[in-house]
Amino acid sequence: MTSLQRAWRGGKNDWRLHVLSIFSVAVAFVCLAAALLVVVNVDGLRDRWARAGRASIYFKIETTEAQVRAIENAVRAAEGVTDVRYVSSDEARREVLGRGDQVLAALPAAAFPASLEVMVDEGTEGGKLATLASRVSALPQVESVETYQDWTERLASVLTSGVTASLVLAFVVLGAVVSVVASTIRLALQRRRIEVEVLKLVGATDSYVRRPFVVEGAAQGGIGALLALILLAVLYGIVRENLGGELGVLVGMQPVFLPWTFMISMVALGSLLGAVAAWGSLRRLLVV
Amino acid sequence: MDSGPSFSPMLRSGNRFDQEAAHRPILSFEQVHKAYRSDAPVLRGMNLSIQRGEFVFFTGPSGAGKSTLLRLLYAAETVDAGRILFMGREVGRLRPESIPFLRRNIGVVFQDFKLVMNWSVAENVAMPLEVLGLPERLIRTRIGEALERVGLGGRGSDVVATLSGGEQQRVAVARAIVGEPALVLADEPTGNLDPQLAVDILGLFEDIHSTGVTVLFATHDRSLLDVRPRRVIVLQDGKAIDAPNGLDGDIEDELRVA
Ligand SMILES: Nc1ncnc2c1ncn2[C@@H]1O[C@H](COP(=O)(O)OP(=O)(O)O)[C@@H](O)[C@H]1O
Ligand SMILES: [Mg+2]
Repeated sequence: MTSLQRAWRGGKNDWRLHVLSIFSVAVAFVCLAAALLVVVNVDGLRDRWARAGRASIYFKIETTEAQVRAIENAVRAAEGVTDVRYVSSDEARREVLGRGDQVLAALPAAAFPASLEVMVDEGTEGGKLATLASRVSALPQVESVETYQDWTERLASVLTSGVTASLVLAFVVLGAVVSVVASTIRLALQRRRIEVEVLKLVGATDSYVRRPFVVEGAAQGGIGALLALILLAVLYGIVRENLGGELGVLVGMQPVFLPWTFMISMVALGSLLGAVAAWGSLRRLLVV
Repeated sequence: MDSGPSFSPMLRSGNRFDQEAAHRPILSFEQVHKAYRSDAPVLRGMNLSIQRGEFVFFTGPSGAGKSTLLRLLYAAETVDAGRILFMGREVGRLRPESIPFLRRNIGVVFQDFKLVMNWSVAENVAMPLEVLGLPERLIRTRIGEALERVGLGGRGSDVVATLSGGEQQRVAVARAIVGEPALVLADEPTGNLDPQLAVDILGLFEDIHSTGVTVLFATHDRSLLDVRPRRVIVLQDGKAIDAPNGLDGDIEDELRVA
């Protein structure tokens, strides 16, 4: 009879205990996986925003359309620029009116300067948008250039705190999983103390006695992590179904689930933690 | 399955003849001292020698140290002083990793059976063989044989909890002999059974003994000692006293008081 079979026999008899442990582990892992999911998506977003830069060039009121068109052509020819859209003063005004904002509609035409919406592909080295922005803002017709740089920076800081939070959470999960599995295994050992006593009596080595318990601990950790991922995937699917499309349009990116490598690592981490916890909890208890 | 330091070549009773070993005692106690608390020593310089193939009763009042003596043998306790030699090896000086290999040469039966109640008879009896990592087929054959020997042939799939006390003790005996140990220890194996069942179980140990196994049988039930003339060792004042012609009057009185 292999350790696996012995673990199965032991686990079957105490299945309630194991189910409880697996659920507790799963709850811990859901928290960690959810945090990671947010980090992964924010990271993707930041990546995208950093690579595909956007700028709005606002013109002074006295600028003529011909001047704007000339600048548009120059910008279009600049390195990395993928798209330029001209938004006239009227269009800007109509956009606001379309939203039905009466206060803004009462403003004079000068409040709605004409602008160019520029899309830049930063490529790998980056810095193209910054160069373009500094050159364009030197032109006498240009009032201001908005590069949304602070948005990217804000996203980066969200990401940093997200990673920090996930790290802290990872340690909490680590502790929770270890303590849940360790106490479950201690309890299982208590319930099977006759079996353990007899095994030692008939000449089982410590490792032979311990092995099925370690297998059970690893199974609890691994299955708990897997269950957490399945739960999260279902939740993710529901959220994506309901507002994924609009969210994607809004931020310019479709949300993604955790990559395979993350998921496999998480299950492996669960198994490892479970095995270590079981091993540790048996070390002190297996004496005779 | 397990490899490691072997206690000694596995001795399978009856199928090995060593001229030297046949004359050496299988077991000897030399000036053994043991106390759980310093003010109440249990064994005080006990000397004893047991030959291969002997059947020995250990008796003495409750608390005399019968269980302690057996526990020292399978290294569940260690001696404070003196030494115990089993098949030429000093038990007290075995390294912890060698103790399992010692225990594979010893079968033990207890008063409280120590069976896993929600397992089948066969699963319980299989334990010593599974520890050895024997192939499944061989294990099944040997379980069948052991159950035949204790009169439980064909009962392998019964759940232990559904058996009577006498049957449960038979399962425990089958588990003790299935690995064909050189030495079988019985610690008050009949203590929980009514008198007729007790005699039946004693009969089982007689059968086991007749195949060449050394049997140490601890009991405070003196009616069992009269069933057949056997070597009787009385534990008294922390020492072992041989009562070659049965119990003498003094000891009988002491037993009656206990
Ligand atoms: N684990 C232990 N710790 C402390 N005292 C013990 C322990 N085991 C036995 N004793 C004491 O040692 C003495 C001998 O016990 P035991 O060997 O069980 O005697 P017996 O089996 O002959 O009844 C008793 O006084 C008992 O109380
Ligand atoms: Mg006793």
